[in-house]
Amino acid sequence: MQFRPIISAMRRNKVGAILIAVQMAITLAILCNALFIIQQRIVLSQRPTGVDEANVVVLDNQWVGNPPDVAARQQGDLAALRSLPGVQDAFATNTVPLTNSGSSEGINLHPDQKTATARAALYFGDEHAIAGLGLKLIAGRNFNADEVADKAGYNDRKLPAAIIITKGLADKLFPNANAVGQSIYSDAPKGQVPIVGVVDRLQVPWVSAGGWGSTFNDNSFIAPFRFVGPYPINYVVHTQPGQAAAVIQAAPKKLFDISRARVIGKTRAMTVLRTEIYKNDKGLVVILAVVCAALLAVTAFGIVGLTSYWVAQRRRQIGIRRALGATRNAIIQYFQTENLLIAGAGAAIGVALAVSLNLWMVSAFAMERLNTGYTLIGAVVVMLLGQAAVLWPALKAASIPPALATRAA
Amino acid sequence: MLKMTHLSKAYRTEVVETYALRDFSIHVREGEFVAVTGPSGSGKTTFLTIAGLLEEFNGGEYQLDGANVRGLNDNQRSRLRNEKIGFIFQAFNLIADLNVQDNIDVPLRYRGFNAAERRRRIQEALGRVGLSARSRHYPAELSGGQQQRVAIARALAGSPRLLLADEPTGNLDTQMARGVLDLLEELHRDGATIVMVTHDPELAVRAQREVHIVDGQVVDLAAQPRLVATANANT
Amino acid sequence: MFNYYLGLALRSLKRNIVLTTLMIAAVGVGIGASMTTLTVFRAMDNDPIPQKSRQLFAVQIDNWGPDNRSIVPGDAEHFQEQISYTDAVGLMNAKAAHRQSAMYKTGAALTPANTDLLPFQVQIRAAYTDFFSMFQTPFLVGGPWSADDDKNHADVAVITQKLNDKVFGGGNSVGKSINLDNHEFRIVGVLGAWAPTPQFYDLNNDQYGEGAEIYVPFTRAIDGQMAGWGNNNCSGDSGQPGWEGHLHSECVWMQFWAELPTAADVAAYRAFLNNYAADQQRSGRFHWPAHTRIRDVREWLVYQHAVSDEVRILVLVSFSFLLVCLLNAMGLMLAKIMGRAGDIGVRRALGASRRAIFGQCLIEAGVVGLAGGLLGLALTALGLMGLRSLLSEEVSRLTHFSAADITIAIVLAVLATTLAGLYPTWRAAQVQPAWQLKAQ
Repeated sequence: MQFRPIISAMRRNKVGAILIAVQMAITLAILCNALFIIQQRIVLSQRPTGVDEANVVVLDNQWVGNPPDVAARQQGDLAALRSLPGVQDAFATNTVPLTNSGSSEGINLHPDQKTATARAALYFGDEHAIAGLGLKLIAGRNFNADEVADKAGYNDRKLPAAIIITKGLADKLFPNANAVGQSIYSDAPKGQVPIVGVVDRLQVPWVSAGGWGSTFNDNSFIAPFRFVGPYPINYVVHTQPGQAAAVIQAAPKKLFDISRARVIGKTRAMTVLRTEIYKNDKGLVVILAVVCAALLAVTAFGIVGLTSYWVAQRRRQIGIRRALGATRNAIIQYFQTENLLIAGAGAAIGVALAVSLNLWMVSAFAMERLNTGYTLIGAVVVMLLGQAAVLWPALKAASIPPALATRAA
Repeated sequence: MLKMTHLSKAYRTEVVETYALRDFSIHVREGEFVAVTGPSGSGKTTFLTIAGLLEEFNGGEYQLDGANVRGLNDNQRSRLRNEKIGFIFQAFNLIADLNVQDNIDVPLRYRGFNAAERRRRIQEALGRVGLSARSRHYPAELSGGQQQRVAIARALAGSPRLLLADEPTGNLDTQMARGVLDLLEELHRDGATIVMVTHDPELAVRAQREVHIVDGQVVDLAAQPRLVATANANT
Repeated sequence: MFNYYLGLALRSLKRNIVLTTLMIAAVGVGIGASMTTLTVFRAMDNDPIPQKSRQLFAVQIDNWGPDNRSIVPGDAEHFQEQISYTDAVGLMNAKAAHRQSAMYKTGAALTPANTDLLPFQVQIRAAYTDFFSMFQTPFLVGGPWSADDDKNHADVAVITQKLNDKVFGGGNSVGKSINLDNHEFRIVGVLGAWAPTPQFYDLNNDQYGEGAEIYVPFTRAIDGQMAGWGNNNCSGDSGQPGWEGHLHSECVWMQFWAELPTAADVAAYRAFLNNYAADQQRSGRFHWPAHTRIRDVREWLVYQHAVSDEVRILVLVSFSFLLVCLLNAMGLMLAKIMGRAGDIGVRRALGASRRAIFGQCLIEAGVVGLAGGLLGLALTALGLMGLRSLLSEEVSRLTHFSAADITIAIVLAVLATTLAGLYPTWRAAQVQPAWQLKAQ
């Protein structure tokens, strides 16, 4: 390794070397952060809901003209849905995960709390809810039929007879105790509400990166209410494995047979909801990946172009070196070392740039801090890219004949 | 030291095949100072590039310091060149981006000497040519004569067995040329083997003996110090 | 002279076709990427109603107090973006602005006259008649309902052209009626194409959506207990049960817009609003000093972060990419020009001035920029197509190229490439006439 003479020789091509170093620095900065964002979004889009997504079908039902006997009609609908072949269970609710739409509440443990102990998403459901979503009960019990009441909209103030909460919420409210048997305190209407069961997981409906719900993503509770209201209500149908497609066809038909005075929204399995709700995140991943690839390609081509020019410029010098005894490999090594030095400088600047960029994004976009693994990976990738790109011009340089030294200047 | 027997080198273009050297033989013994002369286009430069292992040849044999050169691959020839030969070019061929010290250093690096060894050799070589004070200067800051002396120092630093000089004073004025030639003679007196290619008869005179090439073949004037003037005398 | 340089530039570019192609490709790809994201950004950052955006104001009133204001991490200034029914009606009755409308999003099931067809869901916006004149909505036939209709809670509606086509097969449907949740509404007007992007008047629900298909009077909607289908935030206290309870609660679920044509009007309204809030404090409804804000359309879009973070990130990334591409082009131009140093030296020896060399090289850079810009445009079209397939429908509506975007692309390309060419050009102009005549 002959660093000093190489650096000395580079002084003539200062600007070119700086250009390459800066390009590599920016590429590194973008690469690190883009890879980080990609990883974050992939992790985001793979978070489990706790629901048996492949076999849970959701459709929303809206009665024409707000009939007075909505509760009875709903029960009729649900009974019909449960009677369909291939259906395990069904229930009605206000919302499901993966919709970015729902309701949340602050959870208090004592009266007169200024700030809530936890925040949680609210799902309505009866004793069919757990089976309807395919949730896993890990402590306590399901609702009893007599604990379930009708709730005519969010405004219908009733104290739940009991609630079932998720493990995430249980850990937050009672970190050292068993949640089953404890109570939360409701403000309106006032009263204690006992926790009768804990499910392993039920994600909140909101799933956007850094958006509403991201701070309490696993905190949900189910309140034992039959939700009836003058707007679309979700019917959730849990099918036998593999029967989702058939039920998606059969369910609306069955409901329309009962009555045509209704509007049935899109009927689909929750796997479709997942695909739709995360579409933009996946899209962002693809876009960033494409940009990263393009960045690497452009930088590589730039290195090839500029280095080829330097080789041409130094043709005579290379011939002299060969005449003085340099082997072909020595010439290749010369250019690889030169590139390594430039890339090293570029990587150093790039790492600093990557970190500052990330810090800025943390404050501007509620992003997370970059972990050092990414800067390392980025630096390695960029330096390897440089070495690979310089190989072709270096090979061209190595083929310059030593006899060139004897030609007239 | 340098022994070529029946060497031939041909350049092939699409249409024509030209022989730059044809049935060429020469024997330079250790410690000799030989001038190789001839008109332009006679093949002197080709002889030099082949002698310096810069190019391959077609027919015949070439032995350098006892080693047969035919069949060596590029890496082997580079090593041999690096260890055994010191070049002195007409155009000096110093690397403009490097200072005097680093220029002399180039072949030493390829030789693989450690830093201390290199430093010693550079200092010694610079001392030999009388330019110790200029070790940090760049070629552009030196006169022609000084540049050529740096080139000579570069050639010497590796303790070569053979010095090959190609018109060493071609780009210098008379005074500088005299200085360089004085240096070469001094080196010869100290035991160096020098082969100098030139077309200048005044230069050739300073050598021990002269080998004259015409149309790729030798007219050997062994042991005759004076140049034999031929009909088509060179300029 | 320009033509001469242009000719020289073209010939020089042609001579080293590989290098030229690389340069144009670098610029083209950079422009393509950055223009793709910039197009989406500009659509999101768009002023949806430029002719009036400075006169239309969103109204905010804090009806929860400093202890309960909705918290947005990192934004202390933020408070409720919607208002309660009490305040909506209170402000409407005060009539303190030139024009004003409270509004909210609701919906219903529309039962078509043709009983063979199934009922379908429609999005409805409940508003006052001023909505239409404030936002300058175009009408195909008919017009908005009258102020009397508002007062009388009339069963009237304005529908969109799309709905008109779907239900009535197009044509003049004024006077006909539609059945919403078993109630008949008489059509008074059909809107022409109107889809402000973003939907600034209700950013909380459906920023880039299609908007409502039907408009009905606010008073009639309340009468008919048409529930709010949008965002409803009660800060923990949803008030008394039932519809009446909901109306009188402090839940915020409505929007309020006022038209204030002059600066004096704006100042006056600000004062009025503070007085109104102060009155609420005096009457015991609020227990804190007046905290209100009005923001015009532009300010409102900024406050609401109309441009998504993802788009901002993509714009940042793509412009960094453009920078790398330009640096690349600069390097290649440097190589190209310095490789021609001999040619330049000869020209200088033959009498070309520094400025002449400068001009020639800059024009070369400009030509590369222009070619790169055109390539970039083609790539942008491809990029936007790609975005459309990758992203949700909402965002896809933002991926349309306008004439302004095309101009920006070309100008950006030429300017940026010329800028990148400045240093190589300067180097070229420094080449000494005699020097390069000598060999290396």
